[in-house]
Amino acid sequence: MRIDLRTVLLDMRIASKGLRVRRFRSTLSALGVGIGVLALVAMLSISEGANREIQQKIASLGTDTIRIDSQTSKTGTRAASELNLSQGLSIEDAEFLSNANNARVTIAPYWVRNQVRVSAQSKTASATIIGSSPSWFSNERLTIVRGRSLRESDLRTSAKRCVIGSTIAARLQLTVGDIATISTMNCQIVGVLHPKGALLTEGTGIASLNFDEIVVMPWSSFALSDMAEETQKIDGIVARVQSVRDESDVFAAAESLRGHLNRRHRGVQDYRIVVPLTLLQEARQTQTLFQLIMGSIAGLSLLVGGIGVMNIMLANVSEQTREIGLRMAVGATRLRIVTLYLCHAVLLCLAGSVCGILLGVFVALLVQWLVGWPVAFAIESLILGPLLALSAGIIFGLHPALVASRLNPVAALRDL
Amino acid sequence: MNRVIEAKKISRRFSTYRQDVLAVPEVSLCIDAGDLFLLTGPSGSGKSTLLNILSTLDTPSTGDVILNGTHLSSCSDDDLAAIRNEQYGFVFQTPHLIPHQSVLENVLLPTLYGNEIKPKDAKTRALELLDYVGLIDAMDHYPATLSGGELQRVVFARALIRQPDVIFADEPTGSLDADNSHRLLELLKDQAGSGKVVVMATHDRVAMSYATRSISLDKFDRDAN
Repeated sequence: MRIDLRTVLLDMRIASKGLRVRRFRSTLSALGVGIGVLALVAMLSISEGANREIQQKIASLGTDTIRIDSQTSKTGTRAASELNLSQGLSIEDAEFLSNANNARVTIAPYWVRNQVRVSAQSKTASATIIGSSPSWFSNERLTIVRGRSLRESDLRTSAKRCVIGSTIAARLQLTVGDIATISTMNCQIVGVLHPKGALLTEGTGIASLNFDEIVVMPWSSFALSDMAEETQKIDGIVARVQSVRDESDVFAAAESLRGHLNRRHRGVQDYRIVVPLTLLQEARQTQTLFQLIMGSIAGLSLLVGGIGVMNIMLANVSEQTREIGLRMAVGATRLRIVTLYLCHAVLLCLAGSVCGILLGVFVALLVQWLVGWPVAFAIESLILGPLLALSAGIIFGLHPALVASRLNPVAALRDL
Repeated sequence: MNRVIEAKKISRRFSTYRQDVLAVPEVSLCIDAGDLFLLTGPSGSGKSTLLNILSTLDTPSTGDVILNGTHLSSCSDDDLAAIRNEQYGFVFQTPHLIPHQSVLENVLLPTLYGNEIKPKDAKTRALELLDYVGLIDAMDHYPATLSGGELQRVVFARALIRQPDVIFADEPTGSLDADNSHRLLELLKDQAGSGKVVVMATHDRVAMSYATRSISLDKFDRDAN
């Protein structure tokens, strides 16, 4: 006796009708599995949301970049730096690193001043001023939408020229060739940046920066302005590793930079090196742990749901003993009885999984709304839920189905 | 006459933790096509057990049953299921019907198993049978809404849906009044008259008058076995 698609569909139809007769019991049983699927879908959606957020963050920070922040503002560190004659990160550090790494790592030093008054044509805005080199644009993956970027000649001649962010350009109605007053310095606008948004630095320890609200000028010009407090000290360096083959290239470059700075600063940690790739690795570890914990909860929920299905199925078999005997008497093989009761279990679990998916999506959206965690619905999670529920149906339905198929037809028919 | 069923020295013994019970002493019998064969005897004489053995629902402790030349002891469970489905029809004392299925669905039950019958053909056959037993108007009713006599006629229609060679009836008139008993016995007699075999276990004296052949189990001396 073989089981083909026709007989499976037939038994599904019979099982469906049988389950509808015991509607309340079937609903409760399916709900048990549904809660398991709910937990699974919600967990995977939250995990996927966190994953996509971290991917965006890393993409924003750059997977091949290394960020070095000057740490002289901290009192303790300042004392140590002064004691060891270290002055925090300096332009000489940047030049040394640039020469030491040849063309393997592009070094872009920068000064940054927040909330500087920028005015033009009787309009005023507050902007973040960056003093840097032309390589800073490529290291930060910034593109120019109008005009040009800064040039080495601008740097050499300390030209009073700048590139502005898209929001500043719109707010002050500035375009290429216009003159803007930055603090007290008049600067000619040579380019406008393509909108990019903010650097996603939350949780990384890196200072936040909105690229659409910046004004970038040559660091040589910045050093001459009233915005520069100490002309030799810089606020940080953005380094970008060239021709990256794999993650180890970036880590090796970071170690090289750390070694050079350590020697130059005589072991004083008045700077901090942040490798975004490390953040990615940490995020992956955190996510794995989260998935493990939530996966265990979802798995346990499915296990409990499955045991509930088994319990209900055993009760059904017990109540339907006479019907099973009758089916055997009129020609149902033991395999067909197994198929019929597996169909019962699978239908319960599939119905539960459909409810579980819908409720899981709802719960995930609720979490996003209430707690603010990002959620994303990966197609895998929507497939995995029913698949696991189907497996639970087969695994937990098998025992009741075998119990039903092993009944003696004569004894079963007498069970009145 | 064409020999359909032959039982050779079959017996059935049940073992309990206290004692062995001989439910059916050693019996040999032959049933031919067109027979309305009665198994008679008082309650507890083993009529139903013998009927179950002949109908493959139970297996004998000794002996063998031969159906159209096939030794049933050599058949697998699946083979026996196929025999029950395609060659046997059953009418039980209590009308075993599935309560949440309509009369028509209950009649069609055997067609869900065994060799495929086109649903349309099966339905046509079921309607013919319901018409034959006088229940065509009740095809969409549920068992709970029918009388005892009507339920037995539904069971009878179900027994014939696969056009079996043999109909086994276990005390079919046991729970029926005289009119309904007479009606059902006439239907069974018609089947025997058309060349089928009807094997009936009964202690109904009226039913005995319909028999072409019979065997009485009370004649056997159990103590001797």
